Amino acid sequence: MSLNEEDIIPTITSPLLSSDDAKEQLLEECEEIWKQMEECQNKLALQETEALPDSDPKLSLLMKRLKALTAEFNQWQKRKPEVITANPEILVALGRDQLQKLDHDLEMVLSTIQAKNKKLKQKLLREQQWLEEQQQLIDCLNQTEEEISNQVVHFSEERAFQELKTKMLKIKAFKEEILKALGEFLEEHFPLPENGGTTKKKRHSSEEPEAQLITLHEILEDLIKQHINIPHDPYITISDSFWSPYIELLLRYGIALRHPEDPNRIRLENFHD
Amino acid sequence: MSTLAAFGKLPTLSSATILLVGTNDVFQQQLAETILKEKQDLKINIHLTTSLPLPAERDHIRPRIDLIVFIIDVQSKYSFKDIEASLLHVDANFFLGKVCFLATVGGINQMSVDMNAVLKLADRYCSPVLFCELECETMRIAMAQRLLRMLQICHGHVPGVSALSFSSLMKNSLDDSTFIA
Repeated sequence: MSLNEEDIIPTITSPLLSSDDAKEQLLEECEEIWKQMEECQNKLALQETEALPDSDPKLSLLMKRLKALTAEFNQWQKRKPEVITANPEILVALGRDQLQKLDHDLEMVLSTIQAKNKKLKQKLLREQQWLEEQQQLIDCLNQTEEEISNQVVHFSEERAFQELKTKMLKIKAFKEEILKALGEFLEEHFPLPENGGTTKKKRHSSEEPEAQLITLHEILEDLIKQHINIPHDPYITISDSFWSPYIELLLRYGIALRHPEDPNRIRLENFHD
Repeated sequence: MSTLAAFGKLPTLSSATILLVGTNDVFQQQLAETILKEKQDLKINIHLTTSLPLPAERDHIRPRIDLIVFIIDVQSKYSFKDIEASLLHVDANFFLGKVCFLATVGGINQMSVDMNAVLKLADRYCSPVLFCELECETMRIAMAQRLLRMLQICHGHVPGVSALSFSSLMKNSLDDSTFIA
């Protein structure tokens, strides 16, 4: 099975050695290992390359991985820790190099951790300030709540009911008052004509009013009642008991409107819209 | 040979080669430059290409490739199909840890490739997926550092860790990952 070449390549970056002998020895050892490499390579070159099957590369890949990993594992088991060279100078140089690298790495770690530490401290400070502010806010809100709760009046159903009742009575009284005033006003200014009386108006139809005329007050009452009780059909039919000049008066001043199709029906104008 | 061979050549000492396969030239160029700017003691060769198989004429000059990065541009379906076709030309030995997928995301509105398809593709070939934003400078630098680390491991520069064991580590971290949404 193919050996893992990576385990065999030593990569040594050593500074200038003091003695040439040590250099020579090192180069010799490297040459040895390189020869081993070439032998392995020759063996490998005999292997052909294989492309993966298109349908399920994963399965074959996983099998390959399994084989390769077991081979690697076996290698690691067999291997004993060995020093690459017995020459003490090389070892010292190597050791120094590695220690320098380690030192450098540790310094980097140290500075990173210090920076992180600082950031955490700042964060802690910020959070503490925020906590304080929130605490103050809570205290303030508690205070306001206390103050307001002293002023709150408890809602009682009874009282609301009583209030509504008084309101209704007041409104009813007001309504009676204004209806009375309306009645008086109408009586004074718009009385019923005397039958066959002095206010003779020329009529194109020479009929005498036969039915009993009703007062303008009553006409208005009828209109209002009709409007309030039957809002979708607030029309009343003009009967002979309505004195036609009053009808004309109502129509002309926009208090009443004719039905659009039937000229004998009128309704009250929408004053409350 | 039309397939890219994993162990066909001797490895080059003190220099590692990475192959970037993708259709987005601009991004490839930028990523390559960012990788080269990183400071480390290994000499890096970067090869850029749009698709495999590599032209056979230059085969003997080309050093052994240590890491292949397939760059999938999430904005174009064409790039996805291209990568899928190129994958067929790669030797099976590469997928034991020497292949990695890189999905470049532009704006969120411009995704025409389903992210699930990318993840599934990576899963089929048992390779890790990395994500990178096209425009973000800092992400590019971080991505370059990651790729460099992977390259060092795949080249064998890091003693004790092999490409295979490293990719097993990467896989476990991906199983519960959520992609950039």
